[in-house]
Amino acid sequence: MKQLKAKVLSNDELLSYPGATYFLMRVHAPEIAAVSKPGQFCMLNCGPDVPLRRPLSIHRVHPRGDVFFLYSVRNPDAPDTSRITIKENGLISTSGKGTTWLSKVAPGSQLNIIGPLGNGFSIDNKSDNLLLAAGGIGIAPLMFLAERAVSLGSGVTLIAGARCKEGLYPDSLLPPGINIIRVVESVENNTRYIRGKVTDVIPLHLAGVKQIFACGPQAMLEAISNHVGNKAVTKPVQASLEVRMGCGLGTCYGCSIKTRQGMQRVCKDGPVFNIKDIIWQEVRI
Amino acid sequence: MSQSSLRVQVAPGLSLANPVIAASGTWGYGDETADLVDFRRLGAIICKGTTLKPRAGNPQPRIIEVTGGILNSVGLENIGVEALISEKAPAWATWRVPVIVNIAGDTVDEYGRLASKLDGVAGISGIEVNISCPNVKKGGMQFGTDPVCAAEVTSAVRKSTSLPVIVKLSPNVTDIAAIARAVELAGADAVSLINTLGGMSIDVKRRRPGLGNITGGLSGPAIKPIALSMVWKVAGCVKIPVIGCGGIMNAEDALEFIMAGATAVEVGTANLVNPQTALDIINGLRQFIRAEGIGNITDLRGAARL
Repeated sequence: MKQLKAKVLSNDELLSYPGATYFLMRVHAPEIAAVSKPGQFCMLNCGPDVPLRRPLSIHRVHPRGDVFFLYSVRNPDAPDTSRITIKENGLISTSGKGTTWLSKVAPGSQLNIIGPLGNGFSIDNKSDNLLLAAGGIGIAPLMFLAERAVSLGSGVTLIAGARCKEGLYPDSLLPPGINIIRVVESVENNTRYIRGKVTDVIPLHLAGVKQIFACGPQAMLEAISNHVGNKAVTKPVQASLEVRMGCGLGTCYGCSIKTRQGMQRVCKDGPVFNIKDIIWQEVRI
Repeated sequence: MSQSSLRVQVAPGLSLANPVIAASGTWGYGDETADLVDFRRLGAIICKGTTLKPRAGNPQPRIIEVTGGILNSVGLENIGVEALISEKAPAWATWRVPVIVNIAGDTVDEYGRLASKLDGVAGISGIEVNISCPNVKKGGMQFGTDPVCAAEVTSAVRKSTSLPVIVKLSPNVTDIAAIARAVELAGADAVSLINTLGGMSIDVKRRRPGLGNITGGLSGPAIKPIALSMVWKVAGCVKIPVIGCGGIMNAEDALEFIMAGATAVEVGTANLVNPQTALDIINGLRQFIRAEGIGNITDLRGAARL
């Protein structure tokens, strides 16, 4: 865990769809990049109008000492986004003030960042085949995991879900060597896209899979969790939760949730949990 | 000028290297941020509010930003006094920074039992009594809102321990000075104030209270002027040390409290914003007294009072 002023190298719009715009930010933070694990996050200072830092998953790291963050900002003209926005942003503020400020940060600026934080995903030694399930902006931490798994020699299938095809993560940025399944709610089935939801598709891709990793809206994680109960999903699932956080450091207990392993701080004991340990009605994001 | 120029005495037997204390609930059990902050440089650390039995706390959401501050309803999630003594205190005993345990109870008797359990435990330098808890035996009215109840709690703690006893006062009262005088008479070594102000917010899109607990406590810059006026008032009517607390974000804020009559200050919400804040405040205080040619920070205590 380090706290430092990181220079912003780039901060660009990556994609946009009627609900939100995704930004990809690259900062130079070698002390954080060197020790980060997939599934960990950083707390970023988001300007004078929001007192609390915002948690952002570490999206990727570059060996040159750079950390990437992928985050979404609700489009101001988006239709009713009340609950959706909270999940999509995965952040503390319903208004998205923090990430809106962040999206305007110019390259060359310095950002006060603390990280890496949290436990991160854990890949078992014997896991030669991983299934990654990403809903919307939930792809953020999974890309780092995919890269790490590929470098360890594991096979990776990524199920990437979005509400519309404009919301899908660009192919050009996918790590080489992974198998990608694109699932879109509003599209006709064709060779490129599957119409539906991430959770519909998971049972079709379980052959040979040793571990499943999931990040996305709570409804998606909850549905996967139910599948686990119904034995449709027989493999262990690690889910990364995004909840309101105060400090991000384990001191304020603002993000504690009741789990089947007792009270757990999402920031310190998580954000990655065994999906079976999560009691969904306790996680009111 | 040496660091001793910041030294303050907040209670008999409790001398701090500097007047900056990490407030309860914002510094965990002490070393969570050890990678980031040299916490041993703090004047003192007040650990999370501790109860007889472990508590799970309130439902989510527990923390919300509002204009000028934050609302929280963590609800005293804590590991319980037994685990605190066996798992946390041994490490504290090796630190040079004093650790004060904040205690909370449902009955007067519970406060006494908590104090008695903590008495004589190596690594514990004092007790801060949170009297902003509902009194289960009196229909949930907070101990801290009634001078008699506040005094009963203080007295129960006082009789159960030889540790320094600081009573943390609630601002949600009509006359905080009356409570302060009552706890002073009941044997408190110091008072700290203010605890959070009662508050809430509503999420208009969901048409529901923002906090899972509906109401919570407001902290941060928004409450500083209120806290300052209460410290001013209390410092003018008690002889025991006053520890100022409420929205302190920088050294200037801390100096305001000291000049209003506080012997020391607690920094809370600011730790969540930036864990370096408390150390920055210590540095700022040192710079200020050097620049002003003041030998000891205590020379500034009550400086704004004529």
